[in-house]
Amino acid sequence: MSTENNKIMVIGGGIAGLTAAWELSRLGASVELVEKTCFLGGHAIGFCCKATDECVQCGACSVEDMLKKVVGEPGITVHLATEVDKIGKNGIFSVKLKKSSPTVNMPVDGVIKGYSKNNDPLYVVVDKDKAAQIPEGAVDLSELGTTGELEVDAVILASGFQPFNAEIKKTYGYNQFKNVITGMDLERIKRQYGDVIRPSDKKQPETIAFILCVGSRDERLGNLWCSQVCCPYALRMANDIKFKNEEADISVFYMDIQNFGKNFPDFYEKCQSSMNFIRTIPVDIFPVEDDKLKMRYFNEEDGQSVENVFDLVVLAVGITPDPDNKNLAKLLEIGLNVDGFLGGIDPLNRTRTANEGVFIAGTVEGPKSIAGSMAQAGQAAAEVMKYLEVNK
Amino acid sequence: MSEMILSDMEEIKINTDVLVVGGGYTGLKAAKGISDSGYSVVLIESDTIIGGEKNPLSFIGIDVTAQDELKRLVDDVAADDAVNVLMNTRLVSAAGVPGDFTIRLATSDGDLEKKIGAIVVATNFSNKPLSGAYGLSLSDSVLTLSQLEYLLSGSDRDRLSNKTIAFMVGFAQEGDALVMERILSNVLAVESIGGCTTYVFAGNLKVASDGLERAYLESRDKGATYFKLKTMPTISPDGESISFIDPVLRKKMELSPDVIVIEEEILADEMNPLLAAILRIDVGPGGFLQTDNIHRFPVQSNREGIFVIGGTRDVQNIPTALMDVENAVLEINHLLKDGKIVVPKNKAVLDIGKCTFCITCYRLCPHGAIYWDNTNKPVISPVACQGCGICASDCPMDAIQIGNYSDAEIMDKIKSNGSAAPDDLRIVAFCCQNSAYEAGLMADAFQMETPANLQVIKVPCAGKVDLDYIMKAFVEGADGVLVMACHPGNCKSEKGNTYAEWRVVDAHRMLEETGLEKERLGFVTLASNMGIGFSSAVVDLENRLKALGTSPFNK
Ligand SMILES: Cc1cc2nc3c(=O)[nH]c(=O)nc-3n(C[C@H](O)[C@H](O)[C@H](O)COP(=O)(O)OP(=O)(O)OC[C@H]3O[C@@H](n4cnc5c(N)ncnc54)[C@H](O)[C@@H]3O)c2cc1C
Ligand code: SF4
Ligand code: SF4
Ligand code: SF4
Ligand code: SF4
Repeated sequence: MSTENNKIMVIGGGIAGLTAAWELSRLGASVELVEKTCFLGGHAIGFCCKATDECVQCGACSVEDMLKKVVGEPGITVHLATEVDKIGKNGIFSVKLKKSSPTVNMPVDGVIKGYSKNNDPLYVVVDKDKAAQIPEGAVDLSELGTTGELEVDAVILASGFQPFNAEIKKTYGYNQFKNVITGMDLERIKRQYGDVIRPSDKKQPETIAFILCVGSRDERLGNLWCSQVCCPYALRMANDIKFKNEEADISVFYMDIQNFGKNFPDFYEKCQSSMNFIRTIPVDIFPVEDDKLKMRYFNEEDGQSVENVFDLVVLAVGITPDPDNKNLAKLLEIGLNVDGFLGGIDPLNRTRTANEGVFIAGTVEGPKSIAGSMAQAGQAAAEVMKYLEVNK
Repeated sequence: MSEMILSDMEEIKINTDVLVVGGGYTGLKAAKGISDSGYSVVLIESDTIIGGEKNPLSFIGIDVTAQDELKRLVDDVAADDAVNVLMNTRLVSAAGVPGDFTIRLATSDGDLEKKIGAIVVATNFSNKPLSGAYGLSLSDSVLTLSQLEYLLSGSDRDRLSNKTIAFMVGFAQEGDALVMERILSNVLAVESIGGCTTYVFAGNLKVASDGLERAYLESRDKGATYFKLKTMPTISPDGESISFIDPVLRKKMELSPDVIVIEEEILADEMNPLLAAILRIDVGPGGFLQTDNIHRFPVQSNREGIFVIGGTRDVQNIPTALMDVENAVLEINHLLKDGKIVVPKNKAVLDIGKCTFCITCYRLCPHGAIYWDNTNKPVISPVACQGCGICASDCPMDAIQIGNYSDAEIMDKIKSNGSAAPDDLRIVAFCCQNSAYEAGLMADAFQMETPANLQVIKVPCAGKVDLDYIMKAFVEGADGVLVMACHPGNCKSEKGNTYAEWRVVDAHRMLEETGLEKERLGFVTLASNMGIGFSSAVVDLENRLKALGTSPFNK
């Protein structure tokens, strides 16, 4: 089995897309990797390490690893700031690419770091006027992007997810109160500062609340799935905070705690003995003095309403489908499932789609971890091999 | 395999037959997939049948699609000439290295020796009833989950109509999504029988798997009542009454079900430890054959050419096991290619002239890449070797050299001190290429603070850092030295970071003997995404050195 002389398009340069591209390229195929934004790695490239005195297997560093492999691989052509405009199938797929208009979370100085070949940092200047200092070799965002036509033998769609928009849960005051942050923010803060700090004063918080299932398993929102990653990242993060600061007082508000890692029962026991686990969904949050937050919730044991003050509240937002999935479904002639993720047609092998020759991998298909996205990307690459074997 | 760019390559011929251990669902699927991609397969099964038919429900439960698929698969494998199925057969020994394993099989007709290129291990789970933990003995009204599954899939299922059935899950064990999946599909099946009332007593609802939250809500809509409790409810020894405090109404309740269904614990195959010993692969938590290390995901063992899939490596459901199968097929294609593979000549080179046959290298190699040839001399397999250098650092004769990281090359780097800031305190940092070296690049790229006279020396694994290198760095005028490794549990070579730390401890002792402050030498663990961690580690050392002053060797 070999995919030599075949060309495959991978849509999306998150961990799923990177892994799929790498696996296919290792089999000798040439890969066109199309990424909408101006950097590779997707959501997980901004995540932090959650190790204490040992690795807790969060998987964040595997994304760096895979990125390094992909940008050093001559068989993979990366198209940043690019989208698929049209796609037609007549045995092979004819693809038209267009420049995308990436919306970027611009840091204050207007420069973001993407990646070019050989893993050299690629600086993208989003707004020249705002960039305090333009690094040598920086590329203007408007110069990025590919337009043109391509012919490919198969397609892997790995366009990922959107984190739940915490503003929708109005009573929690996200984006209103400085020290109410999401899991995404926490990942970014810890990656940048090396420690967990409060946005308001950059100080180490002493009392911290994690609210789980924000935007997931929520009948009122109609989000009837468990995001599978928020218990893991929240507890790993809480565990690390506790390791670095024994005095930290951590409360976890939850419905059910999900397993992760191979040593979960031990890990969970350790968490239970060092943190407060409160089974309830908090009602609301108000700011009090010193940018602290007062949270109200019902105590399951006595049915009383309780108020508690925290330095920092972390909303463990989950995985929601990208609103763009509808368009992608139409473009690629594949199905959307009840939850808005892109649906496979085979419950046992979820990489297959209604359009033969188009396979899906990663969180575009449903909630999963980094490791799960990588495994599914491998599966999709293997499916592509099989498909090409039959359709030679 | 590591990403070294090595000029000296050689082509070698390898055996492309594959051994699959285990004739259950995943084993069969793997055998078929591997054979479809052009390799011959030997599939061994210790039982007298394949497809796990003796206990078909233990893995695939009452999922009809999966059951049908299994039947088809058994036929497909039987019809496939490239798959040689050996029943009643066990693996006795496996010598050699990927591309050239010699295995011995014990079959019902005596022993058999075979040459193969790669091995896929696909053992099954076993189920342990937990009725004892609930203080119950099994009876007509106290069933295990498996017993209920048998009942539901047989003609007897109407025995359950108009019954009140209580399920217990998550009190005798933490549980997992696979146990939950089985519970939920059984609850739904019971609800489709006329007149049944179902109660589910649960610790944590483990719904972190595709579709489980929906299945849970559906079962509730269809009438199942869930009680989520923090501790096990009190059950009378005959199983006839359950008393508990309802957390919603906060009131004491009592229930008298007709049938109680008790959760089961999913355990690793009993065969695993023996297989691990034969194959020289690591055993992970719970007796599953994979350590908890992201570098092993999804299907790698610590040895190249030996892959672990499905229930062998973790508790997982069928779609996940199928992902494993396809990842193993991919890996086998990458490894065996068309029987000719190109490998670097100098990844690890053993100078047999210097060797005293002490077997240190054989013992320490975490990847099982060293074997003894028929003249009883150690040989390093270029296919299996990952170039970590752990063997090289501990060989008492310095008989092993690693390509691009030979002792001479590293010593040259230590001596060179090409830094632009000769007046500043000089720090030498030995950095693992997988973690700290990358973190250092990140620190640079984001212009984080680092000492002016910092020299980073890249090593393939911190386990490559020899005691000699550390001492040499001080002799050559370093004011401080850091050994920077991966976090424990994140080493691609499992223990390279541990060996490195031990060497730093040894070096501390030697430093004190020579009168140098041991604070000048540090050991730090990092991940590749910790640019800021790299920066603070090197800055910390520089601050310590500022207090200590220039090294006495440097005056
Ligand atoms: C707060 C938070 C914390 C998490 N922490 C962890 C953790 O610690 N460990 C863990 O294992 N998992 C964690 N996860 C889950 C993890 O983020 C995902 O598993 C992973 O990022 C999924 O990768 P992906 O490639 O499927 O999607 P994404 O990361 O979303 O990548 C998709 C890529 O496709 C691109 N794209 C989208 N649409 C298009 C298009 N039309 N054309 C071209 N390109 C497109 C996007 O720009 C993006 O680069 C966390 C999730 C959240 C929300
Ligand atoms: S905790 Fe996560 S980022 Fe840190 S080393 Fe382990 S897997 Fe990598
Ligand atoms: S993983 Fe945990 S926090 Fe996330 S949706 Fe599932 S139960 Fe809620
Ligand atoms: S210890 Fe490392 S370098 Fe030595 S033979 Fe084994 S894998 Fe190769
Ligand atoms: S450690 Fe060195 S001396 Fe000992 S057997 Fe290996 S190569 Fe020979």
